Amino acid sequence: MTRRLLAICVLAAVAGLCGCGKKSGATTADPLRTAYDSEADWNDPQRLIPLGYQQAQGKRIFYQQCVWCHADATPAGPSNRSNVTPAPPLFNDGSVLNGESDEYLQNIITLGGSALGKSAMMPPYGKTLTQDDIRALIAYARTMAVPPYQPAARPGPKYSEK
Amino acid sequence: MPAEDMGKISGRLRLIFSVSCVIFVIALAISPLKDLRREWKRYKRGYARFAQTRPDTKRLMADYHSGIDQIWIPEMGVVDRCTTCHQGIAQPSLAGPSIPQPFRAHPPIPHQVQEWGCVVCHRGQGPSTEVAEAHETTLAWEQPILPGHFIQGACGSCHRGNLAETPQLTRGRELLDRLNCAGCHRLQGIERQVMLGPDLTNIGTKVSREWIYKWLKEPRTITDADGNVKVNGVGTEDEPRMPKFRLNEKELVALSAYLSSLKPNPIETAKFDPRVLGTWSKKADLGGQGELRFRQMFCSTCHALAVSRAGETKMVGGDIGPELTKVGTKVKPDWLAAWLRNPQGYLPHGKMPRYEWSDEDLYKVTQYIQTKLTDPDLLSTVPQMGAATEDEVKTGRRLFLEKGCGGCHVVADVSPQKDFGPDLSALGGKNVSQLEFGASKVPRNLISFIQAKITNPLSVNPAGRMPEYNLTPADLDAVTMALLGMTGTPATSGMEKLVVPQRHAEFRAAGEFGKLYERYKCYVCHQFNGYGGTLAPDLSYEGSRATRQWTVDFLKNPQTLRPTLVLRMPQFNMSDREATIIADYLGMVLQHPSVNPAVIERSQFTPPMAAHGKELYEVKYQCQACHTIGSSGGYVGPSLNNAGNWLTPAWMEAWLRDPQALAPGTIEPRRSFTDDEIKSLTAYLLTLKQSGTGNKTAGVGRPAGGAGGQK
Repeated sequence: MTRRLLAICVLAAVAGLCGCGKKSGATTADPLRTAYDSEADWNDPQRLIPLGYQQAQGKRIFYQQCVWCHADATPAGPSNRSNVTPAPPLFNDGSVLNGESDEYLQNIITLGGSALGKSAMMPPYGKTLTQDDIRALIAYARTMAVPPYQPAARPGPKYSEK
Repeated sequence: MPAEDMGKISGRLRLIFSVSCVIFVIALAISPLKDLRREWKRYKRGYARFAQTRPDTKRLMADYHSGIDQIWIPEMGVVDRCTTCHQGIAQPSLAGPSIPQPFRAHPPIPHQVQEWGCVVCHRGQGPSTEVAEAHETTLAWEQPILPGHFIQGACGSCHRGNLAETPQLTRGRELLDRLNCAGCHRLQGIERQVMLGPDLTNIGTKVSREWIYKWLKEPRTITDADGNVKVNGVGTEDEPRMPKFRLNEKELVALSAYLSSLKPNPIETAKFDPRVLGTWSKKADLGGQGELRFRQMFCSTCHALAVSRAGETKMVGGDIGPELTKVGTKVKPDWLAAWLRNPQGYLPHGKMPRYEWSDEDLYKVTQYIQTKLTDPDLLSTVPQMGAATEDEVKTGRRLFLEKGCGGCHVVADVSPQKDFGPDLSALGGKNVSQLEFGASKVPRNLISFIQAKITNPLSVNPAGRMPEYNLTPADLDAVTMALLGMTGTPATSGMEKLVVPQRHAEFRAAGEFGKLYERYKCYVCHQFNGYGGTLAPDLSYEGSRATRQWTVDFLKNPQTLRPTLVLRMPQFNMSDREATIIADYLGMVLQHPSVNPAVIERSQFTPPMAAHGKELYEVKYQCQACHTIGSSGGYVGPSLNNAGNWLTPAWMEAWLRDPQALAPGTIEPRRSFTDDEIKSLTAYLLTLKQSGTGNKTAGVGRPAGGAGGQK
């Protein structure tokens, strides 16, 4: 009798303790379903690139301000890129932009091309866009870059030279 | 015996008592043991161990303590314990995908995560300290977290006006408005408009019974299985506005009978000057002449047509008015002539301006529409129904009410069927148990419910009256986001203070100008102090920008240097008097408070200043990257060939100083010109004049850099 009662108690206790150890419900989610926005790779329309909040803001600002000269097609049709000499790099051209540090890009967008010894046709945007806007643009460019952008271990050399 | 018994009983009692004690002690021991093994404690310890592996351990552990972390926002009734596990949420050094969850920092957003917590945006259960209960729907707590893809819906709960940062949410709200959802449903922040679908008061004078039958059976704009929208079989960007109702043959016959019987105001037979008819009716290429006029008047700014070029058929034209590819088969000839002469006589709330027509032009254009914009096969599948019988009309009227047609359409003796469908103004905050899934197979969550209701309402409720909307996947998600943001009146007054309300702009044009403003429907394309369309430039400060003479010339003969543009200001054939009234009103009333064109004398700008300005333009600032002068330069900004006639010097100076102050959101970047440079550039721009009447230029119309139609 006593033993049986004790056994029941112990079983109840074990069961109670077991109830605590619940599984954690982490599942691997589809990156597009968790992304704030997405955009098709410019070179491969089938490949959708997920964009976080910051990159999505960069995309929005890009299509307002930059697309006219830094893309070959614009929402309004043909691009102005062919009217500008020297031809501005495409926004997703990793072979040009991957070599530049974030700081350098931040500076050239803020101060304009002529301030950094480049073409004066690139106007300064420091009084039009906020520094956060420009950071968002850079984040967006990095995401879209082909070949893909690999962040440098230390700030890029070009900025510190100038 | 009793004493012995007593001893025996007390022995048993003692045993029961001691066993109970053991049970009690074990039970007591379980709770602290259970507490030791709480899920969140594992993450707490995990974070401490993880922080040891990082170079900035000291900073990461600065706010660490072993208990539950909580953010409390009493105004919103929010208790948020997410940071108990998501401990690195505000640590910049823990950003990026290389950091394991739940310790990763939140990506940059405009709100401080330490201040607002997580559930305000992500939803889910803030007070919960277990993974499953916090993130998913459980028996006790129903609100799961929103997938990141739909997060903009949560922005909408507080931000009732549109934000630049949430384009999909804005698109969803626009769609709810354009698709006339407010016709049947109460929505948060989307008012029911005076005119939703076309006014059907007099529809019997406009179209035949057969055409109504065809339209009800198969609306012109349909979406195929891949989500491509097609108008008359041609792909378009426009979204279908008339949804598909599931009508059977009998209902189609009855409804078409009822609608075709609605003709209280008969249309007069079209009359044209006999001389015009005498000259034109025999011309061989009458339709072609009409087409030319149709194009010259820029009807395509609002109306799209299917155009075949190089073997490819495309929709070309705007989406403000209906698409017209087959309109000749749709409307009756007398109605067409009467409509073109005075659209406001048929539809007082419509968007179509009243053009000033010559008989000749009107005749040519009506002939073009009736002979070229037709499809002889359009009604070939419609059964011959003959005249409507009284019974059919009666049944049709009953069906009209039963189907809720009066939600969107006006008919003389039917009062608007507002609130025909359920109130959706608080749908976004509903729990799963509040949604009626019935016996359907739709997954039990709010997002699936909303999407099933829109695409296939019968899957949720087989007896439902809701029509079907075939939206593209992106548009469906956008509409879902907008509905998720409709969480109703805030539960607490403190929360009400946090809501960012929608701003309503209004503009009332007075006097003679007011009449012209209504006649030519200026506000359909242009904005006036925040009110109106966004297709064409904002005219709120037009009186400071353009000279009076240029405005008069332009209104009489709107031309642009961008011949490739499809969407351009139509040719209204205004009289001199009308153009002068408009130009005077713009000049007097629509001025920027700090740009008075009268204060700057043109004589102060000298040729040497202009020469210096030219150098600045071409060499130092290289404005030609975006602007055209002569035939070279870019076309992001407007052409400046006629700037000297077009723009006032006061506007030029103010614009060069700070374009965004005059036109927020314009793409012209703000530069750091000195005052001297501004004077010189203005002097140079004033020398740019095109010979002749000076009306041949200016980038009015949609500029290539048309973000918001700003110049």
